[in-house]
Amino acid sequence: MSSWNLAWRNLVRQKRRTLLMGSVVAFGFAAFALAGGFIAQSFEGLKEGTIRSIGDLQIVDKRAVARNEESTLEFGLPDAGRARSIAARDPAVAAVLPRIEFVGLATNGAKSVPYLGVGVDPQPEAAATLARELVVAGRYLSAADGEDVVLGTGLASALGVKTGDRITLMATTPDGSLNAVDGVVSGLVDVRIKELNDRYLAAGIGLVSRLLETSETVSKLVVFLRKGSDENRVARRLEQSLTAAGFPIAIRHWAELAVFYGQVKLLYIGIFGFVGAVLVVIVILSAAIVMTMSVTERTREIGTLRAIGTRPAGIQSMFLAEGLVLALTGCVAGGLVALIVRAILNASGIVLPPPPGATHGMPINVKFYPLAYFAGVAAMAGTMLVASWFPARRASRISIVDALTHV
Amino acid sequence: MQSTGRPLLLSARSVSKSYRLGAAIVPAIRDVTLEISPEEFVAIQGPSGSGKTTLLNVLGLLDLADAGEVRVEGKKAADLSENAKSDLRRDRFGFVFQTFNLIPVLSAEENVAYPVALAGKSAAESHARAVELLSAVGLGEKAAVRPDLLSGGQRQRVAIARALANRPAVVFADEPTANLDSKTADEILDLMREMGKEREVAFVFATHDPRVVARARRVVSLKDGRVESDTGTLSGGSTPPEESRRPPGGIPWRVRE
Repeated sequence: MSSWNLAWRNLVRQKRRTLLMGSVVAFGFAAFALAGGFIAQSFEGLKEGTIRSIGDLQIVDKRAVARNEESTLEFGLPDAGRARSIAARDPAVAAVLPRIEFVGLATNGAKSVPYLGVGVDPQPEAAATLARELVVAGRYLSAADGEDVVLGTGLASALGVKTGDRITLMATTPDGSLNAVDGVVSGLVDVRIKELNDRYLAAGIGLVSRLLETSETVSKLVVFLRKGSDENRVARRLEQSLTAAGFPIAIRHWAELAVFYGQVKLLYIGIFGFVGAVLVVIVILSAAIVMTMSVTERTREIGTLRAIGTRPAGIQSMFLAEGLVLALTGCVAGGLVALIVRAILNASGIVLPPPPGATHGMPINVKFYPLAYFAGVAAMAGTMLVASWFPARRASRISIVDALTHV
Repeated sequence: MQSTGRPLLLSARSVSKSYRLGAAIVPAIRDVTLEISPEEFVAIQGPSGSGKTTLLNVLGLLDLADAGEVRVEGKKAADLSENAKSDLRRDRFGFVFQTFNLIPVLSAEENVAYPVALAGKSAAESHARAVELLSAVGLGEKAAVRPDLLSGGQRQRVAIARALANRPAVVFADEPTANLDSKTADEILDLMREMGKEREVAFVFATHDPRVVARARRVVSLKDGRVESDTGTLSGGSTPPEESRRPPGGIPWRVRE
């Protein structure tokens, strides 16, 4: 008769209590698995969205890593076309997109509004990023050197323009003079962040180069990798090949650039950790009470087992085994609950309210995240072991004579 | 008093044990000296509170003496670790309790097999030993039945089988008949005597049941925690003469022959 078998039978004997404690464990596990799945899904979505916006890697001038530009393209990458074609030769690279970041004023003739502008190569940009999907009115940019401009909905509203309207873009060139070009609003985009919507402007890189009076100089090259590529290895290769070609560049990884992603991740981990800690405390307290009751009720039995030769460690392991069996059966039940609730939630179409600063809510989507299930099992097993430890230890130290006369 | 010339199984020398009852210290046994030889059938008798159970617990290594020395097959109990005492109880002792004390979640067979498995024997050997012992106590057909479905007498038979499972040198029985009707009690006592003889096992009872005393080959009487009289083992294996089994004070027990 193994400790496990005995533990199982004792749990079956105390049906009501086992059911109660098993429910606590199952609830705790289900909460753990569901929260884990939801957070994993959120991280994955956020990561994918971030990478589709800023790329896996960015090639920038070395000076741009440590310092902020004081004027537009102060630390720009010259001869960007050549650098772009060198980077594109790497087999792991799916796309290399040039970007010029600049600021200025947009005017409709009567009113001027400041903007945060980005110059892009429209075709590859639309193919590699979510740019086209963000368009809520009109269409995305059509050609690198055309007059098309897309505006954030807030900026368009502030300017009082709609698609098809002409606007003038003004900006300071790298040498400090003021320049202006005309553009046509081809579309409006919702970039999902309200503050950015109020300032966002994108134009073809040709139009922006004309505005800034530059040629072949960009702020950065955004690199998208093929699926499954080793980001670090590709970064090393790109750095070597571009440095060898005379470019004083640095490679930046998406994770170090995605401040928002990092903050959200930390916030979620903090919330998840706190909720998890509360769950663990609830389970520990409930289990400790249940195990203590069990030890008290079975005091005479413990005395008998000790009398007939069970060592103290044997008694202790019997109760620890009960805790573990309860944890594992609770986890199985909790796993089933989690899968059912997950299916219901995912089918419900519930949209969570938008987070602060965002314009779109997120449809609830709970991923099946095996790591959360494994972690849940480990957490519940660990919790039950901790909760059972002291009652089990007490049981193993009971005076045999007192136990045999316990009523 | 040493009962026989055979090697000693258990010895207690000047053993005392007290319990704390609130603020008071209550002496349970005082300066008890006693020796038990293999295959003895000993009844420790005395009125309630005379220290019978305490003496049985100390001899059975369930409790520690406050003073004096207990030896089991020559080993000093005080020198044994908790695990060593557990192993000794498992391998050399058997216990039968007044309230049977079977493990409720185990069948009769599993209850008997439990100490065998505890001693590290295989499942097959534990099973075979349990089946053999249950047949010997007349419960071969109840092997799969759980204790709550057995009568008191049947439970005590299972307890006896369990006590004998690891072929012990001695079985301690604390009021084994107290919860049984007189017919069943007689049957159980006969069974114990028979099993003791057959399997060469000593039996030490704590009892105030005259039926037990009637069957004992040696009667140790306790009063106020002290040995008042000890008949020593009577030869021939028959029931000792009634005179020798009279409790101190001269009132004879009504013994059933």
